[in-house]
Amino acid sequence: MKDKFKRGKWKEFLDWAQNRSLSMLHYCTGCGAIELPPTMTSRYDMSRFGIGPAATPRQADLLLVTGYLSTKTLRRLIYTYEQMQEPKFVVGFGSCTINGGMYWDSYNTIKQLDKYLPVEMYIAGCMPRPEAILDGLLKLKDKIETGEAKGYEEYKENIEFYHKNQEEALGEVQRTQ
Amino acid sequence: MIEMLMTAIKFLLITIFSSALGLLFMGIARKVIARIQKRYGPPFYQPYLDVIKLFGKNAITHGFIFDFGSIMALGGVIATLFFIPLGGWYLYSMSGTVILVIYLLAIASLGMAMGTVGSGNPQASLGISRALTQMLGYELPFLVILFGLIYKYQTSSIVGLMEAQAGGFMNWNLFTYPIATIIAFIVLLGMMGKKPFDAMIAPSEIGSGPVVESGGKYLGMMMLQKSITIIIELALFVNLFLGGAENILIFILKMLIVWITATMIGSLYPRFRIEDGVLFYWKWPLMIAIVQVLFIIF
Amino acid sequence: MRNEKEVIKLIENNLDPLEINKKRKQNLSVSFTPDKTIQSLSFLKSNSYKHLSTISCVDWIDDNEFELVYHLFSYEDYINISVKTRIDRDKATFVTLKEIWPVAEFYERDIHDFFGVEFEGNDNLEELILENWNEIPPMRKDFDTREFVNEEYEWRDYNGQKHTD
Repeated sequence: MKDKFKRGKWKEFLDWAQNRSLSMLHYCTGCGAIELPPTMTSRYDMSRFGIGPAATPRQADLLLVTGYLSTKTLRRLIYTYEQMQEPKFVVGFGSCTINGGMYWDSYNTIKQLDKYLPVEMYIAGCMPRPEAILDGLLKLKDKIETGEAKGYEEYKENIEFYHKNQEEALGEVQRTQ
Repeated sequence: MIEMLMTAIKFLLITIFSSALGLLFMGIARKVIARIQKRYGPPFYQPYLDVIKLFGKNAITHGFIFDFGSIMALGGVIATLFFIPLGGWYLYSMSGTVILVIYLLAIASLGMAMGTVGSGNPQASLGISRALTQMLGYELPFLVILFGLIYKYQTSSIVGLMEAQAGGFMNWNLFTYPIATIIAFIVLLGMMGKKPFDAMIAPSEIGSGPVVESGGKYLGMMMLQKSITIIIELALFVNLFLGGAENILIFILKMLIVWITATMIGSLYPRFRIEDGVLFYWKWPLMIAIVQVLFIIF
Repeated sequence: MRNEKEVIKLIENNLDPLEINKKRKQNLSVSFTPDKTIQSLSFLKSNSYKHLSTISCVDWIDDNEFELVYHLFSYEDYINISVKTRIDRDKATFVTLKEIWPVAEFYERDIHDFFGVEFEGNDNLEELILENWNEIPPMRKDFDTREFVNEEYEWRDYNGQKHTD
């Protein structure tokens, strides 16, 4: 599934440009959002790697899911993910997206983000420190440059799997385009 | 036939040159702001990478009017570029007057307004109505000062106003009419959309204004339009108040000094609300400009 | 500005409570029977206790009763009063407080969502915080959340080592 066709020269050039300028939409859902402002300001500067903030989903490449997700927020997150333009990447932040984290026995949060959206990279920690965030984002940049970050294509291929899981958790989800 | 080909090649060269220079100025501004805030910033060639990446993404379109609005904005700005003398390169600027340039600058905003009508997002129409209201605000003191200068030098073409300041360094309008220069600098801050007058872009209030629904190549075209607009406005200011230049390198140096000063002032202030911004332009700058023009005439 | 003792005397003279006590400084608690609660609350509102902070609910599963608590505050005396009533657990209904304080509509919607108490007169009892919920109301003490989670969600498989419990 990964080597369906080889990466041509044009795609290699676009990946070279893509990994040097990522614009990030940080979806601050849980308590993890408090570690992002220190990463963006003067001490652990994130903009020297080319990563900058984006204002709307239509202008963003990277969706950063910080923390736990209740079912109400998951529905809005899926609408946001489907509005982004390709190529797009999802990063899961903190241990609540890996296996439920601190809220593993709560009736209202979801336990694995992997079943609803295709995740490229997880950053572990409850909350990860800014050095850990930068380490994870730099590894994501290497992954984009070699062409292995293909989450958006897997979403399109296995769309029935993802849709079935989403409807099991949420009931009915509106699909517009 | 050969002449038409040469003119077409000159068009292309001037467009590519000013767009590349505009993107470089945007990168320099980001680096200056970062150093003021005591951190390293992105490298100064970052906007080039942004534009290349944006043209490689897929984008969805919202219909014919949306596409046409983006093209009209970019085309209007390129058409305005040919009437301004840039250093020693004159294309059509022998026949270009100041009033024509101000008139053509409005086409870019109208193009963006058409694009936002096509997209159908209420935040976009909020952003573009703020931009047009602000244009209503800053045009008044600017036109008052321009009429004063036109009366004094009895010519309204930009080349004429530039050559009237020749002959030495103390002949610039900066030193003969310093108050008019300061008012024109405040108007320049409003035209370029720097703080404190950037209510029309406003990234966290209305989701960056008129470009809220554009992604991919439409956003790339808007970035190119912004870069050429910066060059047009800086060149206008340098020609009218700082004496222009015959050599292209000295011209770029003068534009760079004005740009860095505007960036440094803009990085200190918060944002005006749109009603406060327009009323600010109609109060003190307008009164001082009228006093200055009466002083010129009598 | 009234003292706590004067407030206790005011309540004893004009209403008839089941029990009053002073919990700590600036904090009293009063309890009534269900049919006298609404008129006591409006009497307190006309005596400067104008601020309804919130409404909460306690599940006494051994006595088979719910207890509704109304928290009031006065800006003149600076004293908090908690007004309590007990209602039956199997047929949990009560009268709404919407006509006296309009904001009580949202607190009652919240309690209906999590405990299942019906309020007569309030016709806007939709879901406020939960979404798409088909089980018994989750804050009752006979709802076992670990069993619910183990049934509804799958756990990740760590190289053959299953998640216990």
